[in-house]
Amino acid sequence: MNDNIRYKAIIIGGSAGSFTVVSKILSKMNPDFPIPVIVCMHRLKHVRSGLVEGLNLKSNIKVIEPNDKEKIVGNRIYLAPSNYHLFIEFDNTIHLSTEETFNHSRPAIDHAFSSAAYAYRDKVLGIILTGANRDGANGMKEIHFKNGTTIVQDPESCDIDTMPKAALNLFEPDYILTPDKITEYLNQLSV
Amino acid sequence: MTVKVENITEIKGFLQELKEYSSYDLCEYSDSSIYRRIKKILKDHKLSLDQLIAKTKTDSLFIENIIQEITVNTTEFFRDPEVWRELYQNFYPTLRNKKYINIWHAGCSSGQEVYSNLILLNELDLLDKSNVIATDLNSKVLKVAKSGKYDKKENQEYFENFNAVLNREGNGSDILFEKYFEDGVNSNCVEVKSFLRKQSDFQQHDLVKEEMNNHAKFDIIFCRNVLIYFNSALQTKILKQFHNKLTNGGILVLGNHEGLNGFFKTKFIKDGPVFIKNNTFHFQF
Repeated sequence: MNDNIRYKAIIIGGSAGSFTVVSKILSKMNPDFPIPVIVCMHRLKHVRSGLVEGLNLKSNIKVIEPNDKEKIVGNRIYLAPSNYHLFIEFDNTIHLSTEETFNHSRPAIDHAFSSAAYAYRDKVLGIILTGANRDGANGMKEIHFKNGTTIVQDPESCDIDTMPKAALNLFEPDYILTPDKITEYLNQLSV
Repeated sequence: MTVKVENITEIKGFLQELKEYSSYDLCEYSDSSIYRRIKKILKDHKLSLDQLIAKTKTDSLFIENIIQEITVNTTEFFRDPEVWRELYQNFYPTLRNKKYINIWHAGCSSGQEVYSNLILLNELDLLDKSNVIATDLNSKVLKVAKSGKYDKKENQEYFENFNAVLNREGNGSDILFEKYFEDGVNSNCVEVKSFLRKQSDFQQHDLVKEEMNNHAKFDIIFCRNVLIYFNSALQTKILKQFHNKLTNGGILVLGNHEGLNGFFKTKFIKDGPVFIKNNTFHFQF
């Protein structure tokens, strides 16, 4: 699995319960982790701010909410800002959009995942975590069929397993892992 | 039916035709977002790109509808309450002694932020000396803006922002929603009261094609989440216009996750959520 150079980016999506899981993963990641990580999480309407600060307290790697047209660089965590959709562009920049909610969400994980599938094709690792709806499942499927690598959080380890199960209904991922194993998988990429 | 996936060159061909057969020039919109929007339109209308082009050449009503679908018109009352708090508490009080306050909402869509701003001005007793121009390229959204009528359900969550801006704890007596909106109990709509509606001048205007014809300089320009749909060259062109149209010390209010590109980073100073026109260097460009 010495495929660290394979990935141009890692993209993580999650909803209900995923803040804890993402915090946990980021807190255990190698501080020199070279690959950019893009995180797209649904947020409660009333908790629009404070998420980036919260993650930065836990994370070993700097977490930012990017601006539109920002260049994606390594050793950085990009958190999708609230109330914008996040898309990855072919020139490895981020595009933010205020277009309509999708799957009742903005950011919509499907938008972020599908754009990553198109921009990076086989050079992206998609990870879908715990969540109470189906957003993200279709985007993960697109990553899978463009030969990207996919990890679905083990439904047994989820607060709410609707999101991982929706993905598992659409395709067979490369890995089904608990949060600890996801962190292990990521850290061996940077060795 | 599977819709053929058009490539960006073909889409650009459509934009050229649109420019020729209508008053709309979307050629310098950012490739990927225009591509996504047009793909969605083809799917929603079950059209091929050739059929779309054919309709564009013959049906002007269709063009107006298509423009509304291509452009992103989402907006909210007091979107990002902390931005409005900043204007309310820190920026507008500094304009108290001015004779007139000139304000431009560029790309105002259906007008929710225009009315949000008018509410702040009224609370600060600045409404009478404010000249507010609000522009958009799309006639359909402007019609909604002028009417001041908004779907109650669609806007419900944003009315909560009203309290977040105006009625934070410790403010003493609360400012009531009813002061500014008619809320018919049996209707699906809320309506902005007429004393606010008559304070704003909504005009059709395309930022891309023409400069704003207004001899007075603006104290504040709002252009929130509009430039994100344009390519860098077009962004620069419009930022230059904004810079020229602002008074010294005037401010530009962009969306929360928009930055200034290239050259204009030095022409504005970021202050919290707003950009202040920087006149340190007076060279021409």
